[in-house]
Amino acid sequence: MVDATYDVIIVGAGPAGLAAALYTARARLRTLVLERMIPGGQIYNTDRIENYPGIIRVDGPSLIDQMQKQVESFGAQLKTAAEVTRLEKLADGLLAIHCGEDRFLGRAVVLAMGSHYRKLGVPGEDEFRNAGAGVSYCGTCDAPFFRDKEAVSIGGGNTAIEETLHLLKYVKKATLIHRRDQFRAEKVLVEELLAKAGGPGSNLVIKYDTIATAIQGQGRVQSVKLKNIKTGQQEDYPCEGVFIFVGMTPNTGFLKGTLELSDQGFIVCDCAYLRTPISGVFAAGDCRIGAAMQLATATGDGVNAAMMIKQYFRDPSWWTKPVSDASQPSGW
Amino acid sequence: MTAGKTIEVTDDSFETDVLQSDVPVLVDYWAPWCGPCRMAAPVLEKIADEYEGRLKVCKINVDDNREVASGYRIMSIPTLHLFKNGELLDQITGVTPNFETDVKRKVEPHLS
Repeated sequence: MVDATYDVIIVGAGPAGLAAALYTARARLRTLVLERMIPGGQIYNTDRIENYPGIIRVDGPSLIDQMQKQVESFGAQLKTAAEVTRLEKLADGLLAIHCGEDRFLGRAVVLAMGSHYRKLGVPGEDEFRNAGAGVSYCGTCDAPFFRDKEAVSIGGGNTAIEETLHLLKYVKKATLIHRRDQFRAEKVLVEELLAKAGGPGSNLVIKYDTIATAIQGQGRVQSVKLKNIKTGQQEDYPCEGVFIFVGMTPNTGFLKGTLELSDQGFIVCDCAYLRTPISGVFAAGDCRIGAAMQLATATGDGVNAAMMIKQYFRDPSWWTKPVSDASQPSGW
Repeated sequence: MTAGKTIEVTDDSFETDVLQSDVPVLVDYWAPWCGPCRMAAPVLEKIADEYEGRLKVCKINVDDNREVASGYRIMSIPTLHLFKNGELLDQITGVTPNFETDVKRKVEPHLS
């Protein structure tokens, strides 16, 4: 079989990967985007985006649909249901991306695999999750199954608050468990949440300074064990569903042993030009160290990687130059 | 989008299409409002294609077919159930990070 060869191979068709593809395709570089499912990544599951500059409000699928059409209109090739299993540098300097039995060759690679939900890591979590018995990481998917029931959500960031607000439309009572005494989420979201708590007829309870230490039940979730970290007081808190939103973990499993990863699995790169230790391989978006994990920063990373690819193709020796004024590309 | 090689089943056809099937069946419980379900769809099409004749891949819309979904106490979607000779053998809840690999690993020991 003859390997297909590209100028640029992008792994992941989320906002970072699609933004990179837009710029490389417009530079008339032969571009392939490999996506393990369909384009979108995490943002596909967001029904309300209000913090992408210039767009007042949009849902994830609509935005991604536009991004995909835009990218394809400039000639980038997109392959879906293509799960990447290996990256290697060949003796001739080309980069090989393995997708099961298929292999694609590129002069440069952008790693933009994004991230997925992090587990809480308490007893009962895997058991009830694997059995589909009341542990969820997706409020928009599973809230309707808890109509008129009591559910607990755990977390304190934007996702936790957005998903809890969604949950409130369905459940009889939602309890948000947060380990700190205030939220780190955007203030506008926190305000919306607090406005729903405590009033007459409210179905929202917020428990601060509290952690969940176990998920319990016979065959299905029936309660969570809670602990107040200031008073040490513990309680068994009845609920039928537990929704967990405690951060993200990068989709970098296939890179173990190939590239340096941080303790939490993020790709180590120089963060200014997004170069990894393998020449020609860039990291962009949620899967790199130091990522702000926002839609706009992901697209920014994709664009940055594409600009740096142009610099690398012009001058391969640039790859080893340290981040400085002297290595700063100019004349875009 | 054309249906491809996956088969849409209902509360009424579940018995015939799934439980009485001669080959193992992978059932995908999904709903139109579920993003991860839409994301998983092409992977399931690919699996249906690759294992054609040895595995049947069925999809059931839990919004329209509540009897089956509540009978199997579905509380998360997408959920995949693997049936062989009418017996529920294994399941996957949600879209895992290496979804295609994970599904294949579950299914392969049971193929016809």
